[in-house]
Amino acid sequence: MIDISLQNSHSRLCNGVSRRDFLRVGGLGFLGLSMTNLLAWQKAAGADAANPKARAKSIILVYLSGGLSHHDSFDPKPEAPEEIRGKYKQIPSNVTGLYLGELLPKMAKTMDKVCLVRSGAHENDHHETASNWVLSGRFGSAFGDYPAIGAVVSHETGFTGLLPPYVAIPKNPSFTWELGKSAFLGGRCESFKAGDPNQKGFKVADLSLAEPLSAHSMQRRKSLLEAVDTLGARIKGNDQMATYDEFQQRAAEMVLSTEAQSAFDMDKESSEMRDAYGRNEFGQSCLLARRLVERGVKFVTVNSGGWDHHKKIWEGLEKKLPVFDMGFSTLINDMSERGLLKDTMVVAFGEFGRTPKVNKDAGRDHWGRAASLLFAGAGVTPGKVIGATDKEGAFVTDRPIRPADVAYTMYSSLGINPRKQLRTPEGRPLEILNEGELIEDLYT
Amino acid sequence: MTFRKPAYPLRATLPLLLLAVAVLIAIQVSTNAADTPSQLTLYPEQIDLHGPGSQHGLLVAADSHDITRQVHLTSSNPAIAIITPDGQIQAVSDGQAEISVDYKGTIAHLPITISDAAKPRIPSFRQDVMPILTSTGCNSGGCHGKVAGQNGFKLSLRGYAPEQDYLALTAELDSRRINFAAPAESLFVQKPLGKVPHEGGVRLSENSRAHKQLLRWIEARSPSPDPAESDSTSLEVLPGDRTLHVAETQQLLVRAHYPDDTVRDVTWLCQFFSNDDNVITVTREGVVKSIRPGTTSVRAHFQGQVGVVTFTTAFENQVDSAAFAGKKNLIDEPVFHQLELLHLPPSPPCDDATFLRRSFLDVTGTLPSPEEAVAFLADTNPDKRSKLIDALLERPEYVDHWTLQLCDIFQNRRERDHDARGAKGVRSFQAWLRQQVAANRHWDDLTRDVLLAKGDTVHQPQVGYFVAPISEKQNVEESDLGDSVAMAFLGSRIGCARCHNHPLEKYTQDDYYHFAAFFSRVVMKRPNGDTGGPTTLAVSSRDEDQIDRQISETGRNLIDATSTAAAEKDEEARKAGAKVEEFERRLLDLNNQLAEAHKRLPGVGQPRTGKTMAPQQLDGTKVEWSPGQDPRESLVAWMTNPKNENFSGNMVNRLWKHFMGVGLVEQVDDLRSSNPPSNPQLWKALNQEFVTHQFDLKHVMRLILNSRTYQLSSDTLAQNEQDHRFYSHYFARRLPAEALSDAISAATRVPDEYSGYPVGERAVQLPEPGINSYFLTLFGRSERVTACACERNGDVTLPQLLHLGNGSELMKKVRANEGRLTALLAAEKDDAAVTKTLFLATLSRPPTEKEFEAVKHALAEGDPRDETFRDLFWALMNSKEFTFNH
Repeated sequence: MIDISLQNSHSRLCNGVSRRDFLRVGGLGFLGLSMTNLLAWQKAAGADAANPKARAKSIILVYLSGGLSHHDSFDPKPEAPEEIRGKYKQIPSNVTGLYLGELLPKMAKTMDKVCLVRSGAHENDHHETASNWVLSGRFGSAFGDYPAIGAVVSHETGFTGLLPPYVAIPKNPSFTWELGKSAFLGGRCESFKAGDPNQKGFKVADLSLAEPLSAHSMQRRKSLLEAVDTLGARIKGNDQMATYDEFQQRAAEMVLSTEAQSAFDMDKESSEMRDAYGRNEFGQSCLLARRLVERGVKFVTVNSGGWDHHKKIWEGLEKKLPVFDMGFSTLINDMSERGLLKDTMVVAFGEFGRTPKVNKDAGRDHWGRAASLLFAGAGVTPGKVIGATDKEGAFVTDRPIRPADVAYTMYSSLGINPRKQLRTPEGRPLEILNEGELIEDLYT
Repeated sequence: MTFRKPAYPLRATLPLLLLAVAVLIAIQVSTNAADTPSQLTLYPEQIDLHGPGSQHGLLVAADSHDITRQVHLTSSNPAIAIITPDGQIQAVSDGQAEISVDYKGTIAHLPITISDAAKPRIPSFRQDVMPILTSTGCNSGGCHGKVAGQNGFKLSLRGYAPEQDYLALTAELDSRRINFAAPAESLFVQKPLGKVPHEGGVRLSENSRAHKQLLRWIEARSPSPDPAESDSTSLEVLPGDRTLHVAETQQLLVRAHYPDDTVRDVTWLCQFFSNDDNVITVTREGVVKSIRPGTTSVRAHFQGQVGVVTFTTAFENQVDSAAFAGKKNLIDEPVFHQLELLHLPPSPPCDDATFLRRSFLDVTGTLPSPEEAVAFLADTNPDKRSKLIDALLERPEYVDHWTLQLCDIFQNRRERDHDARGAKGVRSFQAWLRQQVAANRHWDDLTRDVLLAKGDTVHQPQVGYFVAPISEKQNVEESDLGDSVAMAFLGSRIGCARCHNHPLEKYTQDDYYHFAAFFSRVVMKRPNGDTGGPTTLAVSSRDEDQIDRQISETGRNLIDATSTAAAEKDEEARKAGAKVEEFERRLLDLNNQLAEAHKRLPGVGQPRTGKTMAPQQLDGTKVEWSPGQDPRESLVAWMTNPKNENFSGNMVNRLWKHFMGVGLVEQVDDLRSSNPPSNPQLWKALNQEFVTHQFDLKHVMRLILNSRTYQLSSDTLAQNEQDHRFYSHYFARRLPAEALSDAISAATRVPDEYSGYPVGERAVQLPEPGINSYFLTLFGRSERVTACACERNGDVTLPQLLHLGNGSELMKKVRANEGRLTALLAAEKDDAAVTKTLFLATLSRPPTEKEFEAVKHALAEGDPRDETFRDLFWALMNSKEFTFNH
């Protein structure tokens, strides 16, 4: 079901460039907005005409935290020696000449709807550093110097309805500390954490009333709060206070809104549908992601952890891959059938691939030199393969795709100018992305 | 080139002198600049030009307004110097002359001296070419300066590696970038001129100074960087600090001073940045413009040097100067002076209840109890605020609260995979810090104890400081320790310089590794399956450590062999005897090796140059080292030297931010000359106080708490609500995670429970950030992964409001049988008394008449009494007056 009011209220930019951008650029010459940037910006602004299909209302990012083994999934190397090839045979997909690892039978039947990139590369093998890199498109420290793509999207679009613009299911990735945060964009742009929708009686924390409350009682609380909350009337110009007031209002509305409640209500889905996605955290997260983009959420991260298979990788993958195969293929097919794939981009990747050679513990280690990524929807050409790795799956031999290219493409797809200047709290102008370009092959 | 002793003091005071001159003139001249002024001010007052064709600009002011663009310049002797069409003074031949400056008939004279005008000069790659690459943005992070370069041409980011850039320009691409036969055809100039396709567009205009300079260098057959050549030592930015009206502009003039005492006008080669271009903007050419009232600094960057000038634009308020008169202590003098300059009226003093709540929260992280509130409000002693401050600083809750602040700075957390100390180690470091705070250990002593810690974490819990920053790294200098120490103790962010020269600061990559080298004799021994035992910090080197281990092993072998030799006979004894000799020889050899390693100068490798960097202070001070010495000692001695403003300033700024909400320098741990404090006078005064009181933290706290500034109301006036930086009112802010959690527990009298800790342990008292708590994570406690103060997050988020408004925890506490409200309702039948207690327990003040009325009105609706009071309690704890410190 589509909530009409939400659809109407979201304000999309006609060509990805707002009047404000024009004003800013006009005034930015002296701030060091270089010709390169300007050219690239013009290029981005004109991307509409070049790629009329490259327009997404929303993005779902399926994040494979820990690093998916590309050898055993989307980039099998049957000719390589066993220590590289691994345990699995390859199976044909429904795209001629495209083979996948045998643990992905459902994806094999779905490849005609996605575009596979086999040439993700960035040369960083550190979980935190690489995660923050691929999640933001900018290289920085392990601690996350730059806002995640979703946070920038949230910053650029703001609230377009009752639901927050950026939701993470169940939460942001983390090994020791939270990754892919909003960084200098602050709490306003941070992802809204939904929690695990596969939990029995799943409820988003604090989204529904902890105890039943009569309308009368609700009214009393409201009027008592109005009576005692007088500080705001005496203190002006305080951002934190203004945000507090706004979010207090939104929180109250969300609690009372059946639309907001039902967006997260998994019981609204038939049990057949829930089964099709898989009755597990990942599958239900994909299903919830679909429900949210249906209701106008701009950016949804489905965070799937546990891909860091240093030991006993076969045991690990035999648990993880079938779950992914089921959830992700159902997501793509379901979205396609509902017509959502037309204007939703679905992307899947992790922070890196894994080492070609199986190690002494029957595992594969971190490998930033090659990784497989999936793109679908919003004008992306389906049934295509971009890039390649060498015969051992170690190095990219064709069309290397860098984290900034991926982020650039995602921003462009939403109509956000990737070269737009943001401002850090210290007043420093900072481009959303300082490098990267559109992955044009996705649309050809 | 002859080198003379640099005259630093003159340079440092020159802009000040000039400013003083300008001020004097401004007083003399009372006419409007648009009319004919009686006098013109020139910046500089004299110009010396060295070398053929060298140029220098001039700034002219009347009534301290910039009229540089409106004056007419004439040279007294065009054979000596001429005026270029764009108003530059250019050397022709050696000698002296005078430039007359004419503004509407008012004339000023500028003496000039030209030397070496005929002396051939070889163009310098470092001085003439590199600055052009930087100022045109060629080597910026978005173009050729990025790690991967751009279209096959890579330069070092903002020119940190001249030797690399030289090779890239002259040797790569079969040297096609430079064409000696036809210099003008070189790709190096054709590309930026846009004569051949260049993705970066046109960066140079034809026949510009930059274009000509590049050609001259190529014509001279592109001489390589001269290692003996000196870079400039300081920048002077004219006309110095000044005030501007909204929309007023000011041209800047930047002079680079060199070690041979020569001075060069480098304005055209500088990059300019405003620290806040909401207030002041600056163009590429160095024209400053005031956008709106406030004060901020403009930075000029040239060859790794940074020059800073501060511009102030007053608000358009009419304020009676009496508003700025009342001053309680040395803090108020500079604060109110600045407010007066900015025409920002201060808010009135806060009332007693607000002061009580505010100081309780800031000093102890707790709320006053209703009883304490009643007593304080009833107290008629005029000194009651000072007395309260003294009392609060002696409370055990103060110790808890300040231990928490220090635990953040010292990153007291469990390191993920490698921390054998476990939760116990984190707790014992916290307990140790608590003792230090309780004893009011001064900041220098505490720093010494922490930074020089050695031994095992069981007996020396402060060794725990090194656990998180060193993390899993084997080589201490490769870890984040240097970054952490610089940030926590000096408020310096040197991390950028690890990979390239700091973009905003003078720190080079060499400086970073010089600094890291102080820790090159720190060896962290972590227990593993083989050895066990506690985590230990040894002052040694990896070489020594390894030889040491070999000595132990050889020693053991020797003992075995000796006893075998004694016990066995004949052949066996002979063999063992031979082994004894061998082991003895080996021991002797190892001992010699150890002695050698012990004497080896400590240092770390700089990855780009491969050179070994010895310990050296961040300000360039060299370090004496004798064998066996712990280099950290000289670091700490340098740090805690009273003259080291970064050390005192770091803590002063953190204290100020803690109490005032906004640091004098923001971000609080980003102290650098290019990011000056918002109130330099106050900065100086506070630093001086801190230093002369031997780094006594409580002394500074007491000063702040007793000031009029701290005790201003947070209520804004129409005229000061736009102020977020100058303390015209107390800046209200959301309570930190721990304090808010404890405030709810204290108000409801229902304690939180943290797994593994006794019931009643408050959030402020928890030792480590790993303790599971949805609330504390939601409200942004510090994870302490880095030393950055930014890890404590004071943002307001949607889930926080959902939690406070709808969460079950708050209502559970409101309802709890053992909680405040249940007991109160049972014991107190008077609704007015219940209302009053609830207000005191949450907002630390009695309700106003209006609020009383609202509660009465709600009660009169006839619903159960407890229900209505529960809703009141909910409303109070959801109000900003509760969740904010104001």
